[in-house]
Amino acid sequence: MTRGLIVVGALLLLAIVPDVAHACPVCFDASDENREAFLATTAFLSLLPLGMVGGVGLWIRNRIRGIDEDGVSAQCVDHVETDA
Amino acid sequence: MSAQSATYPIEQRPAPTRRREPVIASGVLGMLIFIFTEVMFFAGLISAHTIVRSQVAGQLWPPYGQPRLPIEQTAVNSLALLVSGAVLVLTWFAFKREPSRARIPLLLSILLGTVFVGFQGMEWTALLAEGLTLQSSTYGAFFYLIVGGHALHAVGALVGLAWAFYQLGKGELTASQLGTVSMFWYFVVLVWPMLYLKVYL
Repeated sequence: MTRGLIVVGALLLLAIVPDVAHACPVCFDASDENREAFLATTAFLSLLPLGMVGGVGLWIRNRIRGIDEDGVSAQCVDHVETDA
Repeated sequence: MSAQSATYPIEQRPAPTRRREPVIASGVLGMLIFIFTEVMFFAGLISAHTIVRSQVAGQLWPPYGQPRLPIEQTAVNSLALLVSGAVLVLTWFAFKREPSRARIPLLLSILLGTVFVGFQGMEWTALLAEGLTLQSSTYGAFFYLIVGGHALHAVGALVGLAWAFYQLGKGELTASQLGTVSMFWYFVVLVWPMLYLKVYL
């Protein structure tokens, strides 16, 4: 719960602060197309690496779980065979 | 009851020594990291292209006086590349069943990829003759940089597939090696539709 609030707070801060700072040099371009292009490519280049790393991280986590489950079931078989 | 189970209760018994299966093959992991960097390379080029295109007065793209790209012919050529990727998926399944059965689909995949690269070369020759060069405009610069970058990757991936075919012929190709070179070709195949949509249309 607390962690969720921190994440939401951080996201809100990120959403509000740049607007106050007017830090973006291209956010006020006269051309709508240019402004949209800058915003879209900024989002694209920011999220793409996060998506790739996150996707591979999730895939590796699932793979480790799968291997561990296979290992546990194999060990159970070993013990049953030893007991027999 | 065995001597081992008499010494240890079942829950305290040492686990049998077992070589842990690697989570991911080293070659595949290395290729994955390399592909990440290449994805960002193309993402940077595409982003720059998008911004430059949005700054063109009147949204006239291609700019006035510049040759038009062969959209339809390249679409057909793109189909060869996509089919090549699909055939490579079949190659993988064939290899898992019986490695020798993967030879024909792998060869077919290489040939389709070669057709794609060859046609791209012919397209470049025609466009150069029409006056579209790296220096003629930002339009030409982006075209040769993005499409040329992709062609370079395609040639590299084809060399990898040809090596895999050679190893397969000798009976020395491992699943990890095939997976590694295939992954690079999948990258070449999957990134192309995005480049086509951005550069050609």
